[in-house]
Amino acid sequence: MSKNKQIDSYMARLQRAMAGVRDMDRADIMAEIRAHLDTRADQGRLDEAITELGSPEACASAFLDELRLQAAFSDGGPAKTLSTLIAMASRRTLAATGLFVSGIFFLLAIGFVITALAEIVSPEMAGLWINDGHDSFSVVIGVMDDKGAVRSGEILGRWLIPVAMALAVLSLILGQKIGRVFLKMLMQKKPTIV
Amino acid sequence: MDIETWKSQLRKGAADLAILAMLDTGLHSGLSIVDGLANLPKIGLSAGSVYPLLSRLERDGRIAGTWEKPKNGGRSLKMYTLTQTGRTSLTEMKQEWQAFRDQLSQLVGETA
Repeated sequence: MSKNKQIDSYMARLQRAMAGVRDMDRADIMAEIRAHLDTRADQGRLDEAITELGSPEACASAFLDELRLQAAFSDGGPAKTLSTLIAMASRRTLAATGLFVSGIFFLLAIGFVITALAEIVSPEMAGLWINDGHDSFSVVIGVMDDKGAVRSGEILGRWLIPVAMALAVLSLILGQKIGRVFLKMLMQKKPTIV
Repeated sequence: MDIETWKSQLRKGAADLAILAMLDTGLHSGLSIVDGLANLPKIGLSAGSVYPLLSRLERDGRIAGTWEKPKNGGRSLKMYTLTQTGRTSLTEMKQEWQAFRDQLSQLVGETA
């Protein structure tokens, strides 16, 4: 394989490995790696340069985590926060912990939305129940399948819809805030040195 | 912990300082930084580490990069220089490093 083809092949794989990175960041990184390889090829040191950079996938991964973190932190939205933690969770314990903790709040948000929808579709199954027994006290909000046991203790009625939606928004905000705390901690950690 | 893990941790801590200190000597391309560090193998920074570090330092605002074409022709290269923030950061890091090195030397002894 000629030197140019070897470089083209490396750059094509690098481009694929960097999918998802902002166009401007990717173009700048790719141009710099290309200039590095072209110059080394001129010096007759292309193979050595490729060995130093590692595979295109390894080379990309050294940039990707930080770019993802920065993009997620700038975006600030729950979807980007969650997707970044998911993408990094298999490789970074801190990301896995962040995903677990913020994930609980995201799941709660989904649960509250389902509860609000259930109150519209099937009001006899959804509600907020307070059980103040002799030796136990419990508060349950959500959807219950046991139609016979429920309506008597349900206290919100149609107010369940705004209350559940407010709790969903609150859970979403908490999940996002916690996720961002973990993103910030991940950004403060130094990247891997080859 | 094996010695390789320990060495890797030392390098992680020193990587930013090494790059900023090189740029304190003047304008450099990624390539010239890689070449300069090739003579200092104990620092342990190769091209695979240097470019992601430069990218991060640039996004942090500690260095600034511009594409320049050499006056005598040849390929355009991205040239880096320290920003004021980078210069301040370097000064602080150098002071910390020197104090750390002095105190650790008291403990382990100077062999050089």
